[in-house]
Amino acid sequence: MERAERELFGGAVRHATDAHPGDARALDGALAELGWHDALAAEPRLAVSVLFECQGAANATSGALGEVVRGALGLGDAGAPGAVVLPALGRADAPGRLGAGLSVRGLGASALGASATALVVADAGGADAAVTVGTGALVLRPVEGMDPWLGLVAVSGETHGAEEPQPLAPGSWAAAVDRARLALGHELVGAAGAMLELARAHALEREQFGRPIAAFQAVRHRLADTLVAIEGARALLEAAWDDGSAATAAMAKATAGRAARTAARHCQQVLAGMGFTTEHPLHRYVRRVLVLDELFGSARVLTRDLGRDLVAGGVLPAPIPL
Amino acid sequence: MDLAEFRAGVDDWLAGHRDELAPAHRGVGTLDEQLAQLAKVKRLAFDAGWMRRGWPERVGGLGGSTLLRAYLGEALTTADLVEPGIYSMTEVLAPTMIDYAPEALAAAMVPRLLRGDETWCQGFSEPGTGSNLAALSCRASRDGECWRVSGQKVWTSLAQHAQRCVLLTRTGTPDSAHRGITALFVDMDSPGITVRPIETMHGAPEFCEVFLDDVVVPLDRTLGGEGQGWSVAMDLLPFERSTALWHRGAHLQHRLGQLLRAAPAGALDPAALGETVQLLAALRARSRATQYRMAAGERLGPETSVDKVLLATAEQALFDLAEGALAEEVLLGDDDAGARWRSEFLYSRAATIYGGSAEIQRNIIARRLLDLGDDR
Repeated sequence: MERAERELFGGAVRHATDAHPGDARALDGALAELGWHDALAAEPRLAVSVLFECQGAANATSGALGEVVRGALGLGDAGAPGAVVLPALGRADAPGRLGAGLSVRGLGASALGASATALVVADAGGADAAVTVGTGALVLRPVEGMDPWLGLVAVSGETHGAEEPQPLAPGSWAAAVDRARLALGHELVGAAGAMLELARAHALEREQFGRPIAAFQAVRHRLADTLVAIEGARALLEAAWDDGSAATAAMAKATAGRAARTAARHCQQVLAGMGFTTEHPLHRYVRRVLVLDELFGSARVLTRDLGRDLVAGGVLPAPIPL
Repeated sequence: MDLAEFRAGVDDWLAGHRDELAPAHRGVGTLDEQLAQLAKVKRLAFDAGWMRRGWPERVGGLGGSTLLRAYLGEALTTADLVEPGIYSMTEVLAPTMIDYAPEALAAAMVPRLLRGDETWCQGFSEPGTGSNLAALSCRASRDGECWRVSGQKVWTSLAQHAQRCVLLTRTGTPDSAHRGITALFVDMDSPGITVRPIETMHGAPEFCEVFLDDVVVPLDRTLGGEGQGWSVAMDLLPFERSTALWHRGAHLQHRLGQLLRAAPAGALDPAALGETVQLLAALRARSRATQYRMAAGERLGPETSVDKVLLATAEQALFDLAEGALAEEVLLGDDDAGARWRSEFLYSRAATIYGGSAEIQRNIIARRLLDLGDDR
């Protein structure tokens, strides 16, 4: 896309996420209408970074993460209809297992509940395959939990026969995981930026001891640290798109998860009592980032696993080239 | 010459001149030895043309992108050929001279710095003026065709070895704050200058006190104009947080690799190691973007404070990790490797102090980037 076109696209995406913050179905419809799926196929970096950053900032939800996975698997328009099953919480392995039948354990967006079929990537004894199953054969349980507004659905079930597994090229699932981690990284950074903006606005407006609390260094430094965390994560996400490596994508996701938790902690403190009420939007972001951080591997686990691999193998990932 | 071509050329050159470039000293070396090594490497790199790339032709350079300078420093520091702290002076002071010195002065002086003929220092901080730079009081008064300078500077890196100093002076009234500051380019052998090195806990007498007693400085050594010193300083500080910071980040990455190889089995905590790797990667990613903005001719400003906070955080995390994993070496080791880890661990304690403290960086971020208004 040309520069002007990119800006137009960005504006349209932002408009869609802002217009439908709590309605995944409406947002999915708006994204289809504005051509986001075509953009995902043609320019995945642009489509993913713009949408997920806006989605995080607006506290919106959609089925787009599944579409990102589908696109990275090369099944974008290849006759694999149905909503996409994501890995179970905290995990990044394929949600299905193919043996005598198909066993599924994972999560989905709310669209999954309304879909007649589900696309499941399954481990078929070392090789991955895509299977399209009728949702009637699965147990779908809407999840409320920490973030009811996210509209997650827990998926489980065992099916026997009937499905035709479609073999996937080696490494396709790993590529889909990398892409999903970048999408979630952008969403976490978008949410962290929104929390920072909420806290900043409050700090400038709220007066104590005759001056805005933004004048107090203890408050300023919390917000400064939040910005530093966000900017570090954002830079690492861009570097991950540039170098295309799994290692950088995982580091970027972990760094974004940590940045979002930093933002939640500092911004909640600055917003104080206000941010603790349900009258203020902060709590929705706090809830959201806790769940997003866990999807496809949390900051804590990705970080520990990185360290563990390094201790075992002893070779650092190649530094990001200049 | 583009970056890929330059990178290949530098790498080949380093491989082909290994013996010639290698330090004469073992281990960390004394500050004198480090400076001799720096001068040698700069001279060889200048004569081979590498050190001239990325600098304008009017100061002895060969032109080209500033990215080339970023790569050269990275290559030299990760080959353990130069200590990044003392190498950074070139990246901080040469751009300032190019931007603010009278043309003839820049043309005469900058090549000496690039070629390693001279060491320069930066006289900013004073005993009463650390973070609050605008309160400096080292006095310069006009006397015909020259300035007469009296006052004191402190934390002046390498002053005892330096031939020149970029000196900030008060030329306005004592309460003229940032408006009454003038930057001068001073010969360190001028009568009236006394330098006293300060012993620091990391073992290298890198910092000095500089006493100026009625020092005569010609008028044509004024950088910018009278009263332009604040602009000089504000444009110089981002250079500390751009190319030089990229070099330091590369050095830390290099040391992390060495730590991984040196740590005994079971000594590295996986979670802390993983986080340190990520902190260094985020620093590198951020600094890389800054290198590209600079290369595109963008004016760097307060946003580089983000880079500095990332650097200081990553540097302390790395050496905290090293101190824990290599406790025996860091605390009891009297060999070269132990001395180097110990010295760098101790130096990393200053990462949140020098070049604008962690608090000042956060104040800049709060005021300039978050627009939080005045802090009083």
